[in-house]
Amino acid sequence: MEAINSSVNLDALNKAIDEVFYGEIDSTILYYLQSCVNCKACEAACPFTPTSLKYSPVNKAEVSRELYRYRFTVWGRTVGRFVGGSKKYLSLSEAETMFDYNWHCTNCGACMFVCPMGIDSGALINLMKEAAFKAGMVPKVYSDIANLEVSGNYWEIDVFRQAWNSLISKMKEAVGEVPLDKKGSEILFYASLYEAFVYPEVLINVAKILTKLKKDWTFMSKPLGVRPPIGMVLGDKDGALNVMKRVYNYFTDISPKYIVMTAGGFEYLSLKYTMHETFKVKPKYQVVHITEFLAKLYTEGEFEIEPIDKVITWHDPCQLGRRGGVYEAPRILLKALSKKFKELPSHGVNSFCCSRGGGGCGVPTLVENLAKMLNISISQEDKKFLDNTLLPLINAGEIKADEVKKIKAKEVATGCPVCIESIEFSLNYYHVDSDVLHIINLLTDNIKVRNK
Amino acid sequence: MQLFLGPYQVGNSLYPLALDLFIPTIFFFFFGSAYRVGRYLMTYKKPFVAVPIASQEVVRGKISSIERVKSLVDTFSNSSKVGLKRKPVTTTAGLLMHLGLVVMIFLLAQHMVFWAYYLPPYRVLFPLAIPESSTDGLLSLTMSTFPRTPTPYPFVHDIWGPLTVILNGQYISFLLLVLLGIYLGHKFHAFADGLSLRAGDWWFFLLLYVDIVLGLLATSHIPNNVVWYDNLLGGHILLAEIIIATLPFTRGFHMFEFYLGKIREWYFMLYRRGEK
Repeated sequence: MEAINSSVNLDALNKAIDEVFYGEIDSTILYYLQSCVNCKACEAACPFTPTSLKYSPVNKAEVSRELYRYRFTVWGRTVGRFVGGSKKYLSLSEAETMFDYNWHCTNCGACMFVCPMGIDSGALINLMKEAAFKAGMVPKVYSDIANLEVSGNYWEIDVFRQAWNSLISKMKEAVGEVPLDKKGSEILFYASLYEAFVYPEVLINVAKILTKLKKDWTFMSKPLGVRPPIGMVLGDKDGALNVMKRVYNYFTDISPKYIVMTAGGFEYLSLKYTMHETFKVKPKYQVVHITEFLAKLYTEGEFEIEPIDKVITWHDPCQLGRRGGVYEAPRILLKALSKKFKELPSHGVNSFCCSRGGGGCGVPTLVENLAKMLNISISQEDKKFLDNTLLPLINAGEIKADEVKKIKAKEVATGCPVCIESIEFSLNYYHVDSDVLHIINLLTDNIKVRNK
Repeated sequence: MQLFLGPYQVGNSLYPLALDLFIPTIFFFFFGSAYRVGRYLMTYKKPFVAVPIASQEVVRGKISSIERVKSLVDTFSNSSKVGLKRKPVTTTAGLLMHLGLVVMIFLLAQHMVFWAYYLPPYRVLFPLAIPESSTDGLLSLTMSTFPRTPTPYPFVHDIWGPLTVILNGQYISFLLLVLLGIYLGHKFHAFADGLSLRAGDWWFFLLLYVDIVLGLLATSHIPNNVVWYDNLLGGHILLAEIIIATLPFTRGFHMFEFYLGKIREWYFMLYRRGEK
């Protein structure tokens, strides 16, 4: 991992390791650290093991276990120092390996569900990510984007302003009036800048649906960040906290009944659970994914879905499904949409991760393009880092492409912008004749409001 | 303690030593377990549940008891289901090994007598006992309607019937040695690949391997000599005691924590997050 050589500050890393390990170990993390039996069952679920077994969850999490044993076990303090398996700090090469492992984990949670002990290796890799971030070991292109979000300077950037304003204009063209920042609305339609960039049509379609259903809704006059709280995937807890404060203030200011979002990635969990758990507040509103919201309305009979005659399937985004527990809602909608709805061979808790999100934060070319638009220079080291994220995407993508091919799905619906990018990349790479799209794009024209 | 039975002094073998150490072993085990559990309690932080599942209107209906039980079964079986699909060899070996170990430890007739000595209510399980010898198993298979055995105790009359041809100490010992061999091979493979390996892996597997070999030799009377028998059996029990005493400090404790982890996972998914 030459990508970080020039920026590794071992003293800072040592300090960060102490801070993280002495400050953040609770009974859950302790269980994850000491209960692993090294059976390697987790290899079966991880999207990075097709690239190399060294990226298996147990192997990646072993770095944190070695640091834990030195600090918290008698064995690690004594014999372990000589026979291995226990480390006070990391050497330069070990720090580089740790960095490499950190960015070969999407924190998708698949390992937890196949682990006989229910260990979430992603939580341990997150500890290392946090230590690495504190020591400045983070790809510069990501930290630059995150800094824009944390500082609030993203709104000073023309290309961002233009993208957002253009989105609002297009929404207006599609639905007429777009209520902005309207306090006390029943629904706050929440979106990030990232979504405005990668799938503006999805956001416009949501506006169409809400208008069609005659809902009292409002949109945001300006976004609350690039993809808030992006610090969560970089290991930047403090930055994420700052951004979550901004988001929480806005949510409470508008004070809606529902906050509806189209992204089912880390933001769903962060803004629904982590944010409120961190601030220790019980929200008066409900943060829901658009599929949850529409499934509720559909089951209450507010609209019908005009069926289509196509084989369609659903890819469970890891954060929305495995970590968020949202499995039924999209299936209610898709089964109503097509009698030919088929499950992917790996679905539900065993859905095979697309290998992006925290493990590369998107398709490399997309990140590069975003950086170019923002005038963020991509160093040689960052370029190397981004290029290295391509192979896992190709390898994991083969499994996903094979599954889509196996069930002969014409449309792969999902509910997360990064899943769409990465699965689209995989289907193209393996020449699979299927489309991947946000579930909203499949539904919009087929929603028929019932006459009450 | 020495007992004089003719010219042979029982007290000179490992057997009485092993028996004398059993109670201290159990104390050590409970001490270790308390230490392990104590660490969990000391680091426990009560979670703040900001979004209780009951507060979520978008949850569809009530989850029935049947669904909860199904979900619990799924939680416990998912690892094996996925493993059999994606890692069939090691998963099958692992499942059979665990099954074999449970049967051997808790149902082998000799072990049952040992457990029942310290824990008398264990006797209720005696009807489930499996014999030590494969010969009796074969008799049970071929002469199940009229069992004959050279021993005065025709325990082929057991509940398992013809199944004793595989449910017997010898057969399961051989099976366990092969399965543990596969596991050890897996570890060597991981070692060659530079993947994570721990001292605890070797400790547990090697102790178990040697313990099974000692138990097999003792009950098979190899070599056929009472001094050897006592030492082999004593060695078998001593190794088992080392395993039991160190359980709370090794991977062996997963036999208890397995349930904790899975029930926590089930609870979390059913009661703490979203729909189901």
